[in-house]
Amino acid sequence: MKTIYTPEMANVNKVIPQTEKETLFEIELSERKTLGHKPGQFVQVSVFGVGEAPISVSSAPAPDRATFELCVRRVGNVTGALLDSKPGDKIGIRGPFGNGFDLNYFKGKDMLFIAAGLGLVPLRSFIQEVLGHRAGYGRVYILYGCKNPQELLFKQELESWEGMEGIQYLNTVDIADDKWMGNVGVITTLIPKIDFDPGKTQAVIVGPPIMYRFVIKELIARRLPEKNIWVSLERKMKCGVGKCGHCQMNQLYVCQDGPVFNLSKIRNIPEAV
Amino acid sequence: MKNLIISKSELLKLLDELIQKGNEVIAPVKQGNFTNFCPIRSPKEIIWGPPQTVIPPKQYLYPQSEELLAYEFGASGPQVRGENVVKERILFGIHPCDLNGIQQMDWVWSEKNLDENYLEKRRAVTLVGVDCLVPCSLDSICSRMGGLDPKGRFDLFLTDLGKDFLVEVATEKGEKLIKGLGKAVAAASKQKLTKVRKERNLVFNKKQKKLLPKLKDLPKLMKASQNHPLWEEHGEKCYACGSCNMVCPTCYCFDVQDYMHVSLARGVRNRFWDGCMLEDFAKVASGENFREDRSERLRHRTYRKLNYLFDKWGESFCTGCGRCIKACLTKIVSPLEIANEAYEKKRK
Repeated sequence: MKTIYTPEMANVNKVIPQTEKETLFEIELSERKTLGHKPGQFVQVSVFGVGEAPISVSSAPAPDRATFELCVRRVGNVTGALLDSKPGDKIGIRGPFGNGFDLNYFKGKDMLFIAAGLGLVPLRSFIQEVLGHRAGYGRVYILYGCKNPQELLFKQELESWEGMEGIQYLNTVDIADDKWMGNVGVITTLIPKIDFDPGKTQAVIVGPPIMYRFVIKELIARRLPEKNIWVSLERKMKCGVGKCGHCQMNQLYVCQDGPVFNLSKIRNIPEAV
Repeated sequence: MKNLIISKSELLKLLDELIQKGNEVIAPVKQGNFTNFCPIRSPKEIIWGPPQTVIPPKQYLYPQSEELLAYEFGASGPQVRGENVVKERILFGIHPCDLNGIQQMDWVWSEKNLDENYLEKRRAVTLVGVDCLVPCSLDSICSRMGGLDPKGRFDLFLTDLGKDFLVEVATEKGEKLIKGLGKAVAAASKQKLTKVRKERNLVFNKKQKKLLPKLKDLPKLMKASQNHPLWEEHGEKCYACGSCNMVCPTCYCFDVQDYMHVSLARGVRNRFWDGCMLEDFAKVASGENFREDRSERLRHRTYRKLNYLFDKWGESFCTGCGRCIKACLTKIVSPLEIANEAYEKKRK
C-alpha cells in the first residue's frame, strides 16, 4: 500500500564537497520526470535503515530535469549517513513539501536576499531562479554571512555573482582568518552598505533562529514595510504532511503553512521568530 | 437515527455469538488494578462502568507503535514494500468522551493528506458506545468540556435501562451488527430514558468540577492568556514526563524511527506516540530547542486542546475524560483548572 509516508526511490548522481561539514548532492528521481518544486520547498530524504530528515531543495525549479540539488550539513543521524553516501547510492524522497515562494508575486520587484550560514541553501534555489530569469526582476541584492571563511558555500557561484550587472553581492564573516580581505562582522553590518528602495524591494531572509530578529529590526529601521519582508523558518519535522505535530508554532504548521512566511502574517505568532 | 429496545440478555448473547464466530471484540476489562481495552473471550469480562481505562481506545486505531513501511536491501539497493493488514473489529463499551475523541481523530487524520494508516483501521471498526450514568471519577470533567454527549458519533450506543438497553442505531454498520434484534421503543421506555438522562445530568452537574468561563469562550480566553503567570507556576512543577500526552484520547503527535533487522538485509520504519510535553519534542539536530521551557510546552499542549484545534474544528479537543488529570504526578495539567485560573486572574 502506498501512503503519504511512502518515499519514492532516487539516485545519488553526484557528490560535490563544499566545506568540512557540508556536501552538495545531485539527486535524480527514478520514476518521475521532475521534482516540480518551487524555491523554498523541501523534501523528506530517507536513508533506509537510518531514517528520514527534511532537507531544503537548493537548486532552481527545473521543469525539464529529473535532477535537483540538496546541500546537507552533517548534524544528526540521517544527515551523517547521507554525507557518507556515494554516487550510485539509492535514497528515498518524499515531497516537495511546504508552500515555497510564489514566484508570480515577486516578478518585477527588486529583490534583497539575506542569508546567514546554511540559510543560503534554501535561498540559492530562489537566487538561481531570479538570476536565470534576470529580466523578470528589478535590482538584486544578495547579502551572505557566515562564521568564518571556511564555511562559505558554493564558492565559485558566489564569485560569479560579484561581477554580474544589476546585482550587488556582499558577504561577511564573523571571524576572519589571515587570508580574509573582506567584511568582518555579523550579517546586520552589511545592511547599511546597500541602498535599496523600500517601496520596491522584497527582502527574503533565511538563517539560524537567532538572526531573524536582528535583521528584521534593521530592515524596519530602513523603512521596509513588514509586508515586504519574507522569512523561511526551520523546525523539527517528522512527517512533512501536517500530522506529526513537531513543526507547529502556535496554530501554524511550518511544513504546511510555511516554511515561507510573510512577516505580516506571523506578527501575532509569538512562537515564530 | 433509529432507537430500539434490546434486552440485556439478548444483546450479550449476540455479543457472545459474535466472539464465538471469531469476531474480534475489544472492550474494557480488568487488568491488574486497572482497566484496559482488550480483546475479550466472553461478554462477562466487560467492565461496564468505572473505573475508566487508563489508555483510551484510540490505541486500536492509532497504536502506540506501528509500521509505516518496510524495506529490503537487494542487489539493486533498497526496495520499499508496505502492506497493512487490517482486521475487522468491534470496539465495544466506549464511553462518550472517547467517542468524541475518535470523531476528532477522524477529522485530523483525514484533513488534506489522508493518513491511510489510521483511516484503514478506522473503516474496519464498528463502534459500540455505552452511556455513562455516573462520573467515572472525580477527575472527569466531561460534562463541562462537551464530552458527555456522544453527538451520534457511533455505530451503536447503549443506555442501561435496567433489564434492557435502549440502543441508538446511527449507521448501517450498527444495524448490521444487531441483525434485526430488538423492538420498537414503547412510551414507557421513552419516559424511562428521559428520567435516566435527567438524573444523570444532575449527578454529573453536582459532582464534576465547575468550568467558570463559558466553554465556547475558551479559545478567546486562551489567546488572551499567552503571557499569563499560570504557565510559569504550573510549568515549574512539571516533570516533563509526557504522561498527559500518552493517556489523552486526542493527542496524536508521533515520532518516526527506522529499525534495521540484525541481518542488515531488511528494516522497518515505525511511527510511535510522541508527546509535546517531552523535552526534545521541538528540538532539532543542531541542538536548537524551539520549546525549551516546560511552561511553554504546557501552554502548547493546553492551547492545542482549548485553542488551536477548538478554533479549527469548532469544539474542545479536551473531551473531559480526566485521564491526564489522573496521570499527572504533580496535578498541574487539568485543562479545566487552567481555564478557571486564567479566567479568575483575568477578572481580578
